[in-house]
Amino acid sequence: MFAALIEEKTMRSIFTMAMAGLMLVGLPAAVSAAEPETAAIPFRAPRDADIFKEPNAAQILLGKRLLSDTKHLLPENVGDGLNCTSCHLGEGKVPLASPYVGVSTNFPAYAARAGKEIDLAQRINGCFLRSENGKAVPPDSPEMKAMLAYFQWLSAGMGPKTRVEGRGAGKVDTSLVPDPVKGKAIYETRCASCHGDNGEGVKDVRGEFIFPPLWGDESFNIGAGMARTYTAAAFVKNNMPVAWGTNAPLGQGGALTDQEAVDVAEYFTHQPRPDFPAKVKDWPNGGKPKDARY
Amino acid sequence: MKPIKWLWFGLALAASPSLADTSFPPEQVEQGRYLAQAGDCVACHTAPGGKEFVGGLGIDTPIGRIYSTNITPDAKYGIGSYSYDEFERAVRKGVAKDGHALYPAMPFPSYAMVSDADMKALYAFFMSGVEANATPNRASDIIWPLSIRWPLRIWARIYGNSREFKPDPSHDAAWNRGAYLVEGLGHCGSCHTPRGIGFQEKAMSPQDGVNYLAGAKIDNWFAKSLRGEQASGLGAWTEEELAQFLKSGRTSRSAVFASMAEVVDHSTQYLSQDDLAAIAHFLKSLPPADGTPPVATKSADSFTNLRNGDYQQSGAAAYVEFCAACHRLDGNGAPRIYPALSGNSAVNSGDTTSLIRIVLAGGRMPATASEPHPLAMPGFPKLTDQEVADILSFVRSNWSNHAEAVKAGQVGKVRAALEQR
Repeated sequence: MFAALIEEKTMRSIFTMAMAGLMLVGLPAAVSAAEPETAAIPFRAPRDADIFKEPNAAQILLGKRLLSDTKHLLPENVGDGLNCTSCHLGEGKVPLASPYVGVSTNFPAYAARAGKEIDLAQRINGCFLRSENGKAVPPDSPEMKAMLAYFQWLSAGMGPKTRVEGRGAGKVDTSLVPDPVKGKAIYETRCASCHGDNGEGVKDVRGEFIFPPLWGDESFNIGAGMARTYTAAAFVKNNMPVAWGTNAPLGQGGALTDQEAVDVAEYFTHQPRPDFPAKVKDWPNGGKPKDARY
Repeated sequence: MKPIKWLWFGLALAASPSLADTSFPPEQVEQGRYLAQAGDCVACHTAPGGKEFVGGLGIDTPIGRIYSTNITPDAKYGIGSYSYDEFERAVRKGVAKDGHALYPAMPFPSYAMVSDADMKALYAFFMSGVEANATPNRASDIIWPLSIRWPLRIWARIYGNSREFKPDPSHDAAWNRGAYLVEGLGHCGSCHTPRGIGFQEKAMSPQDGVNYLAGAKIDNWFAKSLRGEQASGLGAWTEEELAQFLKSGRTSRSAVFASMAEVVDHSTQYLSQDDLAAIAHFLKSLPPADGTPPVATKSADSFTNLRNGDYQQSGAAAYVEFCAACHRLDGNGAPRIYPALSGNSAVNSGDTTSLIRIVLAGGRMPATASEPHPLAMPGFPKLTDQEVADILSFVRSNWSNHAEAVKAGQVGKVRAALEQR
């Protein structure tokens, strides 16, 4: 167990890049340094109803549920109040909402944050350790295998290193200078009605989060990709709020300008949130992005 | 209105035969502005993206498209040359200054009961509270001989009975105020009351029977029943919720959509709390149209099944895939953000037109003072008729809902109607 933990720490560093990359710029970004870009294929995701045609339908379905109802189903592994779907919207099947589609074809891959090659289970655990501020899911557990099966099902028929349009959460211009004072005002007028006046989120009658907390003890730690200003800004620009437009499937995004997204992202990412002690292992070979929190 | 003001108004009337440039007491103009909002005049008399009250909005009627008119005080193209009597006759009886009959798209049968004091305030507002605009009216697309107007006078004689509002002493003041607003300026029945063979509203008031506000199909939407049916009417709503809904477009369980979103946007959000409470009080007094309503029962199983990954029921998997992100596995949505589907009277409506349409084409809530974010429902035009039917049938039969299934053919009809637009 202890050995596994150490190994995880090493892996963690690897993921950092992938994670940051994955979460926002997408997996392929992590790979791009090493390999030439190939043309992206149009985004397409299979329908849930098709899961039942698969020989391992039960496993895929479990994976889907674990990634959507994470806190409830994996309480030992989720240390905060988030589900995977808090950042990977709509079951990981929404373009620019950090989709899972095509991701499995890009692993294993070198990740600058980790400084080495990592596999998809390691990458997923990067999220559990950082975005969910919890514990890694054992790579050979039925739960991890189920999550991997769901990822693979989403990428069925895609060749190795497939690039899919809409991967990650898009980009914002990193030369934009964030103004956290304006960001605070934007947060209060545009975000607080769902995420709470103090970033605490909104819970339902069962005490489960409807809208995830953006800071505080129940939110992601500083090691998460979402803790980075430009990563968060791209996500906010393209995905917040959900139900802003009539575009299927979520009507998401498009409410803020790039500058507003950068301002509000700077504000909420820099509110108090859990630390990530293993941060010291990140970016061992350099390449730390300018908005890294440490 | 204080008597002294009315005296002044009377003097003004006497002194100036041409009223367009007459000055009115500011309080009266403001009162008129409020009443014009209560009547939602702007909704029809404004073209999309156009200036308020200049008209030009296309309105489809059974015989062709007509265009709303310029009701700014421009003397040539608007109603600036109207005397009070001419204005009153147009609003209450549907007869224009030159004597031609208005199409009953103008809800003059409802406006007929507006009090004299309110009518005078409306006149004051339209003469001096609105900026004159010299935009000519647009001729209707109705072809001759259907464009001949005189039959409309017969229509008006049959259906546009002049009605005076008489308070019902068996009800309290709030009920009577609510009745006055709902039956009169609010002209709620224009959409929510089914129409008869002559395109007339089948009932104009509660005394006319259970058709009044019993829900009606209009313009490929279904304006839901405002009567007391438990599941599909307002039976499960409290008066407070109704008032909140009209004020903000939301309650903790529901959100306004379709044409009613515009009504909240342009009209009801500006009404006083007293008037909204009165409207709610009146509406809640209307008994269910269908006699004894079925009592909704709670079903906790739906949530548990979905959470456990039991998607055996047709439409369940697609509900989780496309709907649950906002409306959630428990069908409760998020208070004041995403409407609940469980126990939602629009979801349980007997007529599924609106339900199908909002899934296919989406919808939008208005921005109101208390709820400034105009959130939207995405449309899902790429789902097949059968998929939409399955999802809606699932939604209508789970949690606390017990409504009939939706058939693919019904979805196809709405889709075809939307594509024709």
